[in-house]
Amino acid sequence: MKSFLPLLGKEVRALFYSPIAYIIIGVFLFLMGYSFTLTLFVNKFATLIHIFFQSAGLLFLLVPIITMRLFAEERKAGTLELLLTAPVRESHVVLAKYLASMAVVLAMIALTGAYAIVLGMFGSPDWGPIYSGYIGLALLASTLVSLGLTISALTSNQVVAAIVTIGISFLLWTIDSLAAMVPDALERILISLSLLAHFTPFATGALYTSDLGFFVSSTLLALFLAMRALARR
Amino acid sequence: MTPIILAESLTKYYGARLAVDRVSFDVRPNEVMGLLGPNGSGKSTILRILTGYLRPTSGTASVAGYDVVRHGLEARSQLGYVPEDVPLYTHMRVNEFLELMGRIRGLDSARLPAAIDAVVERLSLGRVRTLLIAKLSRGYRQRVAIAQALLGKPKLLVLDEPTNGLDPRQIIEVRELIRTLSAELSIIVSSHILTEIERVAHRAAILLDGKLLSVHTLGGQDGNTRLRVRLRTADEAAVRSHLNTVPGVSIVEAVSTLGIYVLDSVDGTASAVRALVQGGFAVEEVSVSGTGLEELFLRLTEETGP
Repeated sequence: MKSFLPLLGKEVRALFYSPIAYIIIGVFLFLMGYSFTLTLFVNKFATLIHIFFQSAGLLFLLVPIITMRLFAEERKAGTLELLLTAPVRESHVVLAKYLASMAVVLAMIALTGAYAIVLGMFGSPDWGPIYSGYIGLALLASTLVSLGLTISALTSNQVVAAIVTIGISFLLWTIDSLAAMVPDALERILISLSLLAHFTPFATGALYTSDLGFFVSSTLLALFLAMRALARR
Repeated sequence: MTPIILAESLTKYYGARLAVDRVSFDVRPNEVMGLLGPNGSGKSTILRILTGYLRPTSGTASVAGYDVVRHGLEARSQLGYVPEDVPLYTHMRVNEFLELMGRIRGLDSARLPAAIDAVVERLSLGRVRTLLIAKLSRGYRQRVAIAQALLGKPKLLVLDEPTNGLDPRQIIEVRELIRTLSAELSIIVSSHILTEIERVAHRAAILLDGKLLSVHTLGGQDGNTRLRVRLRTADEAAVRSHLNTVPGVSIVEAVSTLGIYVLDSVDGTASAVRALVQGGFAVEEVSVSGTGLEELFLRLTEETGP
C-alpha cells in the first residue's frame, strides 16, 4: 500500500498536467452543451435521457484517447521497465492507472451535472432517471476505461491501442443487434454481452442488479487481464 | 559469504530464439562484476531477469537471498537499476522524480528529504534539481537515473551500459562513482567496451551469443606493472628474440595478427618502451594493462567464433 499512493499521484498528475485531458473534457462539454440546449429548446422536456445516450456515444471515442497512452507510452519510452523493476506490485500499477483515468472521465461526466441543475432551476424533472443515468454512465465508463487499459498493456503503439479499443467497444455496444441472426443458444450470450442492453435501463430510470453486476464484473475481468498482460514478460 | 547475486542455469528464449543459455555466476558483497560481451550477447537480458523485468524461461536467480520470481517484490527492494537507455519521466522536475521514486521505494516523509539531499549531493545534481528532466543533457539524465537507483540504500546497483552516449569527462565521472560506490554496495555493470569493464570491475563475466564463456578475475586495479603495447609488426618471433636479449622485459601474451603484445617489465614502462624502440620496433600504443582481459576476450571469442 505504501507504494500505491505515490503511483496514483503520479498517474493523476500525468493526466491532469497534460493538455489532452482538458481538451477532451472541453470538447465533450461543448458537444453535450450544444446538444442539451438544442434539444431543450426544441422539445421543452425536462429530461436528460438523450444526453446520457449521446454521452455514452462520445465516451466510446474519448475514453480510448485517455487510455491509449497509459501503458503504451510507458512501454515505448522505457519507463515501464523503470516502474516494474521498482518494488511495486503489478496490481498497484494497474489500479493506479485505472483510478487516475476514472478521475478524468468522472470529472468530465460530473460537469454535465450543470444541465441537471439548469433543469431543476427552470423545470420539474423526474430525478430518478437522472440519478440512475449518471450511475449508468459511470459504470459504462468504468468498463471502457478498464478495457482500454488492457489493450494499452498489450502494445507499445498508442494509435493501435486507441483503434483496437474503439473497435472492441463498438462491437460490444452493438453486439445484441447480431442476436437475431444466430442460433438461440448464442442469442442469449450475445445479448448478455451487449453494453447497450445493460446501459439502456440505467438511462431510462430502471436499476437492475444484473446490469450493475455486468459492469462491475466486466471491469474486474478487464483489470485482471491487464495485470496478466503486464506479467507476461 | 552469502552472494548478493546467485544465478543458476539462467536461460531465456524470445520465441524460438535463445538469448541466454544456461548462465551461472555469483556476485559477492562489495564486488563490482562486469558483464562483457558484444551487442546481442545477452547482457541486458540477464540484467532484466535479475531486476525482475523479464521472467527466465528456466533456471533461477536470487538477489540478497530472494528469488527474483517467487519473491520478486523483496528482491526488487534490494536493488537499484539504471536501464540502458536511461528512461525517465521527462515531464517531471528532478526533485519531483526523485521524490516519486523514493516514495515507491518505501521511504516515508521523515526520511525522504534527507535521502534525496544525499543522492543529489553525491551525483552533483544541486544545480539542476528544480529543472525539468526533459531539459537536461544526457550526462545529467544519467546522473538522475543513478540517483534514483541509490534511493533507499539498495544492496545491489545494476547498471546497463552506463557510459553509453557520455562524453569522455562524464565517462571518467561514472567510473569514479562506481569505484566509490563499491565500498558500500555490490554492483553489476554491463558493457560492450572492454576497457570500461577492465577499469571498474573486480571480476568480468565474458558472454557471447548468450553463453557465459568465462568469469575472469581482474587483478590490475592496484597498479600492476604489466604493459599492453601495440607495435607496427605482426612478426612475433622477431619481437620475442629481441626481448630475450633485454633483461627484465618479457612477453606474456601476444595477439600478433593485431600487433598486440602483453609485456612484463620489471623496471616499469620506460625501460620496456626503450627496449622496443632500441630493437627498431615502431611503438604505436602503450597502456598499463595488468588484467589480461583483452587477450582472454580475444582468445575466447576467437575459439568460439566462425
